[in-house]
Amino acid sequence: MNQPLNEFEQHSSDWRKSLRMNSRRTYFVIGSFLFIYAALGFLIDLYLLSAKYPHRPLHDYASALLSFSVTPTATLVLLAVAAIALFVTFKFHDKLMLLGTNSREITPETAANLQEKQLYNIIEELRVAAGLKYTPKVYIIDADYMNAFASGYSEKSSLMAITSGLLNKLDRSETQAVMAHEMSHIRHMDIKLTLMASVLANIMVMTLDFFFYSMIFGRRDDEKGDNRLFFIIILLRYLMPIVTVLLTLYLSRTREYMADAGCVELMRDNTPLARALLKIQQDTEQNAEQYNSDYAQTPHEDVRRSAYIYDPAQAGISSVKTLSSLFSTHPEIESRLEAIGFRKRQS
Amino acid sequence: MSILTIVIIVAVLFGVYFVMTYNTLIKMIEAVRNNQKQIDIQLDRRFKVFESLINVVRKYMDYEQSTLSKVTELRTKAQEAHAAGDEKSRIAAEDGISRIVGGMSFVFEQYPDLKANQNALQLQEEIVSTENKLTFAKQACNDSIEVYNAKKKSLFPSVVVSLAPSKLDMPFEYWQLSQQTVTEQENYRVEL
Repeated sequence: MNQPLNEFEQHSSDWRKSLRMNSRRTYFVIGSFLFIYAALGFLIDLYLLSAKYPHRPLHDYASALLSFSVTPTATLVLLAVAAIALFVTFKFHDKLMLLGTNSREITPETAANLQEKQLYNIIEELRVAAGLKYTPKVYIIDADYMNAFASGYSEKSSLMAITSGLLNKLDRSETQAVMAHEMSHIRHMDIKLTLMASVLANIMVMTLDFFFYSMIFGRRDDEKGDNRLFFIIILLRYLMPIVTVLLTLYLSRTREYMADAGCVELMRDNTPLARALLKIQQDTEQNAEQYNSDYAQTPHEDVRRSAYIYDPAQAGISSVKTLSSLFSTHPEIESRLEAIGFRKRQS
Repeated sequence: MSILTIVIIVAVLFGVYFVMTYNTLIKMIEAVRNNQKQIDIQLDRRFKVFESLINVVRKYMDYEQSTLSKVTELRTKAQEAHAAGDEKSRIAAEDGISRIVGGMSFVFEQYPDLKANQNALQLQEEIVSTENKLTFAKQACNDSIEVYNAKKKSLFPSVVVSLAPSKLDMPFEYWQLSQQTVTEQENYRVEL
């Protein structure tokens, strides 16, 4: 029964420590994001100011902005744009997550067979364990590949989806482990967090782009800002996309570790999750070709990629491709197993 | 003048901290209470599920006719103990029901007819799910007590607690088995 785990040594898992460590990392990422965001606004304001009142030393502009004797217009506009963008995304993103999949909702009344009833039971049990006030909506996606994800910004609007392939191939406790991982994403408000990070990152990159082009094509001699600032902006324009991608990926991986730890917290057992992860990986590798075309035929796969319990790109499923394909949204399976207490035997 | 300002600032800061900590602790206390009630809800649910379960099983075999009455008896005992505030004998009685149910799953395995029956399978799923929910409810309760205890005993929040002990200092007990039951369970072996 423990077959997939034969190559591993089992230890106990300190989920409290893992949760603590990863929540510190999250604060670090969010802090850097806010810092970069504010710094970018500051930089643009500096540039605008230097174009408006030329021939003064830089620190004059800086102190004027920092003491609020000049309104930091660009920073304020950036903040407003971010607030609107976040609001719109939070409003509509829920429905986006199931986009393109062939899915149906499961409720106790509409459960067609024992398997669906069991899935609903599993989720109700986890709701009790997690002490949530609402049971998330449950969807089954008709697909052979094994995967699951969670979405929603509050307990009320949360939903969990699981592919029928996963439901058929995992036993009760393994399915429960997968759902506990997803439930932890909901508890930790990961969907909100990662989405917020990616929206902020996009706005940053877009602002830099906009500014870059308007400077190149719109520079008149009488409105010329400080040249040093101009070069910094050019540099940032090429550097920032990489930095933001790395930061969002680091955040996403951190939250995966946290959800794994949260799963162990809810189940008080690390074996089912380890078995489930290994089964999913083996199954995906074995059927890579078929799943590749399955994923490719499902539109909008990139929306779900970072929310999945298992990143299909890790098994060489190349149809799921975004700018960030070079870097993974999920840690390696072996690192994830090690974090929940399974170390690969040295031999 | 400046000393007065500092004193006022410190007082205001402490006031803000006091209110925030107070509210957090109240939320935690209510969470523990809710979780304790959740255990009652799950126990109640379990009793109802098992009643119907035993009725179904009875149709298939001469499985101890007395089981239902035994469960009912233990249930009454648990309720009486709960009403009297005697958590220990209540836990012991509920634990007794758990053991009967454990035996019932074993019976399922021995009767292929029963195993093949769709209704029976559904009921078996119900047993597993019901027991899981109960376990998870106890776990959630203990977890919330852990969070609450850690908060109220740690430094600075403990100062706030000492200022309003009647509202903030609740002696919640972890849901646990008696020492005697633990020894019994530890020595328990399935005999085949």
